[in-house]
Amino acid sequence: MDPTFETRWSQFSAKKQAYLAYARPMEQKVGSFLTYRPDVEAPQAGALQGLPFAVKDNIAVKNFPLTCGSRMLETLVSPYTATAVARLQAAGAVVIGKTNLDEFGMGSSTDLSALGKTNNPWDFSRVAGGSSGGSAAAAAAGLVSFALGTDTGGSVRQPASFCGVYGLKPTYGTVSRYGMTAYASSLEVMGIASKSLALTEKVYGVMKGRDPHDQTSLDPAPGVARAVKTIAVLDGLTDLEPAVQRAYEATLDHLKALGYRLLPVHLGTLDYAVPAYYTIATAEASANLARFNGIRYGLRPEYAENPEDLIRKSRTAGFGDEVKIRIMLGTYVLRSGFQDQYYTKAQKVRTAIRNDLQKVFDQADLLMTPTFPTRAFVHGDRSMTPYQQKLADKFTVTANLAGIPALSFPAGLEEGLPVGMQFMAPAFEEGRLFEAAAKFATRVAAPDCPGTSLDWSK
Amino acid sequence: MDTKELETTALLAQIELGKGDLARLGEAVSQMLDNFRKMNELDTEGLEATTHALVTDNRVRPDSPVPSDLADALVERSPELEDRFIVIPNVL
Repeated sequence: MDPTFETRWSQFSAKKQAYLAYARPMEQKVGSFLTYRPDVEAPQAGALQGLPFAVKDNIAVKNFPLTCGSRMLETLVSPYTATAVARLQAAGAVVIGKTNLDEFGMGSSTDLSALGKTNNPWDFSRVAGGSSGGSAAAAAAGLVSFALGTDTGGSVRQPASFCGVYGLKPTYGTVSRYGMTAYASSLEVMGIASKSLALTEKVYGVMKGRDPHDQTSLDPAPGVARAVKTIAVLDGLTDLEPAVQRAYEATLDHLKALGYRLLPVHLGTLDYAVPAYYTIATAEASANLARFNGIRYGLRPEYAENPEDLIRKSRTAGFGDEVKIRIMLGTYVLRSGFQDQYYTKAQKVRTAIRNDLQKVFDQADLLMTPTFPTRAFVHGDRSMTPYQQKLADKFTVTANLAGIPALSFPAGLEEGLPVGMQFMAPAFEEGRLFEAAAKFATRVAAPDCPGTSLDWSK
Repeated sequence: MDTKELETTALLAQIELGKGDLARLGEAVSQMLDNFRKMNELDTEGLEATTHALVTDNRVRPDSPVPSDLADALVERSPELEDRFIVIPNVL
């Protein structure tokens, strides 16, 4: 599928009317964009020439809005472009819109956006996942060739899994965060959602690399290339939705049939990944979101009694409930007297998790887990409360805590809905993720979502 | 978390909580804090804290001027301007 996929998408400018005739009605049903500007000409040179892509609306693109899905930034238009986006543009790709997200990237459904509703292209009554739900939905619905998201605790991989596309979370620091609205700086990285694995790899190749504007950015330094032979899997994995359990077991069979050695491992720290992640993420969020105060940024009240009142009014009206919850949690765990008990403890748990993963990678080339314990759930579903959604992040947050790369790949359909599994690799070993996922795709290809098509490019 | 603690935290976070918010958000905050306490089960004696997974050194750029063309674009994005001054609500 891959060479055809890129060739077809490179027809975007030449076949604009046919594209629009397909895409506009589709977008009306899916609602992946907060800003949709497909009426642009794509450059006809470069490694990604002519490819239209979407950018999550917490990443800056010059002269596009940068709302973060929040009332707080509803009117902000970015004066500059994120480094990673600029690199893609320089390679010939063109931004055609900004995608919906849970407010400031905080959520697992995109239902926590204050500015739009996104539906899963596989079943419009279900969520696209989150927080990069608009990006994954746009890629799955055939509205873009690829889309950028941000992954703080699984925000690219989980929606990719819900929508049946690939979702890459690169090694921390290999992609510049300049131009990305900060939520949890020590955990997050820009990622890619696409129906094409080959294109995902190519886009990563263009985006990555050190940037003077981001002092945590790094040049990737992979070890000596070696073929993936051994894949670690979690021993005695339970608590999955039965459909995901079936897909997981089928994936194990496929991997065995492909000749991989499967090594059952016990990750003793996995149960502590969610509390450690949310302690650290909310602590960093409380600091990062302090800048939204109605003075330099953000919604401004009509009047205020004094500067403190202005700040309080701005934040109270500008932030949604989930953002307030996380800011308060983060404020609490950093309060004097509680810091050692929560924040410092979480950072030590983070060390324990890294050590645990190191032991796994001493024996295996990759670690494979489900991406999320369920398939896409229904909008407003009471079976998955916001608290349960957070507990379900345990497979994805682990990679963010350790800074290692991970890839969610489509592992088949269960009762008409896609299920994703993920590979994790040691730092900088994205190559192993692509290699194993490409082999897996020879048995289970990325599924075509009903009603989607690339026929407009013919 | 009791109401008083929640109110103190909200004050520090510069967020105003109405009566309804206190109950609704307070429950969600308490539920997560209970979850955080689970970390106490894990023995982390002797472990260093990880602040960043892969960043080892503090990189700084040379202390020299770098041209930026952003100033006008930023000023233009203010909700209200008088010449190059940003108009803000009267807060005194």
